[in-house]
Amino acid sequence: MRTRAILGSILASASVLIIGYQAGVSVTTGDGTSLTLPVGSTTSESVGTTADSRAISGPTDGTYTGSSISTRFGNVQVAVTITSGSISEVTALQLTDADGRSVQISNRAAPILRSEVLASQSAQVSNVSGATYTTRAYLGSLQSALDQAGA
Amino acid sequence: MTTHTSTRRLTAQPLDVAAVADYRRTFARRARRSDLLVMALWASGAAAAALFLASGGASQFTSLTETITSIGIIAGLIGTDFILVMLVLAARIPLIDAAIGHDRAIAVHRSLGKPALYLLLGHGALLLVGYGMATGINPIAEIGPMLALPDMPLAFIGLGLLIAVVISSLVAVRRRFSYEGWHLIHLLSYVAVAFALPHQLSVGGVLSDGTAQRIYWIALYVIALGAIVTFRMIEPIVSSLRHGLRVSAVTAIAPGVTTIQFSGRALRQLGTSGGQFFIWRFWTGRTWWHSHPLSLSAMPTDRSARITVRALGEGSAQLGTLPVGTRVSIEGPYGLFSAAARTSPKLAIIAAGIGVTPVRALLEHASFAPGDATILLRASTPEETYHWDEIRAIAAAKGAACYEMIGHRPASTASWMSAADVDRGVTLATAFPDLADSDVFLCGPTPWLDLVEADVRTAGIRPHQIHSERFDW
Repeated sequence: MRTRAILGSILASASVLIIGYQAGVSVTTGDGTSLTLPVGSTTSESVGTTADSRAISGPTDGTYTGSSISTRFGNVQVAVTITSGSISEVTALQLTDADGRSVQISNRAAPILRSEVLASQSAQVSNVSGATYTTRAYLGSLQSALDQAGA
Repeated sequence: MTTHTSTRRLTAQPLDVAAVADYRRTFARRARRSDLLVMALWASGAAAAALFLASGGASQFTSLTETITSIGIIAGLIGTDFILVMLVLAARIPLIDAAIGHDRAIAVHRSLGKPALYLLLGHGALLLVGYGMATGINPIAEIGPMLALPDMPLAFIGLGLLIAVVISSLVAVRRRFSYEGWHLIHLLSYVAVAFALPHQLSVGGVLSDGTAQRIYWIALYVIALGAIVTFRMIEPIVSSLRHGLRVSAVTAIAPGVTTIQFSGRALRQLGTSGGQFFIWRFWTGRTWWHSHPLSLSAMPTDRSARITVRALGEGSAQLGTLPVGTRVSIEGPYGLFSAAARTSPKLAIIAAGIGVTPVRALLEHASFAPGDATILLRASTPEETYHWDEIRAIAAAKGAACYEMIGHRPASTASWMSAADVDRGVTLATAFPDLADSDVFLCGPTPWLDLVEADVRTAGIRPHQIHSERFDW
């Protein structure tokens, strides 16, 4: 009887874990949007590229709302304001907020991302450690807003 | 050792094949249920981890920081699962009681206490480290930001309460408390669970709104707390009101030993199997806060029941002076010290001191062929032979062999028998020739019972054939 209970427990636990793991794999490959976006080239390079692109056409002034990017900690959406052809403001419309911890993380990451974006004048800024999902989604939404502006 | 029996037999009786098959089947069914419960316990722990994996998969282990955080979360989930399993085990659910018995359910409950606490402490510590690393500050400094999260201060208090509960239940500490004092602290575990729940739902992403994980965990809470409310509160209240028990007579039968008779309604419908116990509460100003786990000392009739109490503690000492007419509330019947635990048509019963009470009811209720049951009654002095006259009479009427052994244990060797009988060469085998084919029911004070159990095991009796009832809570 004891043997049966032990073997049964091992079998049941192992199957439950495998099913859970498989389900997890499909979840992570499913929302690829936030994972495939580019992150973190160096600041000096990005300044160069923005300067170049501005020389050719330059973004149109105005406020552009980026697409909403979903992560497993909630959706992220930002708006960018272009004044005199440069990024003058980034506003977070929505940040990862699925739970208390995510709110805390995004509240810490958002000001850092904003100032880095304003400094680099692009979506090419480095990852805020401990806020990878927020960073990726924030920059992804920002990039789509910049695309609309024609930057 | 003296013998009172109507059918004293000289040789072992042949086994009734059909009856043996019946008992085997019943036992196999119970063993299957018990094994399923064990599997469910482990699978629920695995499910806690699996649902975490399902929420984010291997991506949650890509960096050291994330790995520490993820392991911390899994520790918290499994720890919480154990706490909920502990609640289920303490809920006295009839299905679980019938499969493994109250004793074993509580033994498993106890054995999960420390692992659950360690997992939850690990949960707190790992998340302080993981969150701290993510923000670039040390774990102690992370306490501040962590407490700033909604619901987290409550969770910290909950963990503190849980530490108090587990410490108060450590054997060494527990002895310092009265049962009631300990129980009061133990009730804090409900507060701890209630305080920890909000942060699970709001802080962690695993149980965020609209996920299957959230539904699963809420269901677990509902089952665990629902079982407690149903079987430890509603069911006892309904049963107590329905049967309307009152004390009808209190009789001293020996120094410090009292029988209490009850009157009530439809008592047979309690479904008591002889040998089971109830948890009694006597509603007088002095006694209502003590609950007493006590076996019936006779099978109830429709309108009356009886228990026999020995003054072991402060609470049970007061029972000797209960006024007639006192209202009594009950929880039960509980326990597998009854026919439900039998695996064979033959019975070997050994009881000492006040341990005769469940044995008296068991013997009265048990079905066996004449000659298939042997009882050994044990007392240190002739004053401690409570209800032996009744047991003798039942044994004689049902054809059971009844041995009586009075006298102190030997001073030099560890034996559960009297010194005189040890010297005479009495052994388990001489008293119980059919022992190997019998169910062995043992009841008595713990140190004595441990010795009998060891002796029975040495004789090669398998654990599922041994049914013990100890006097300790």
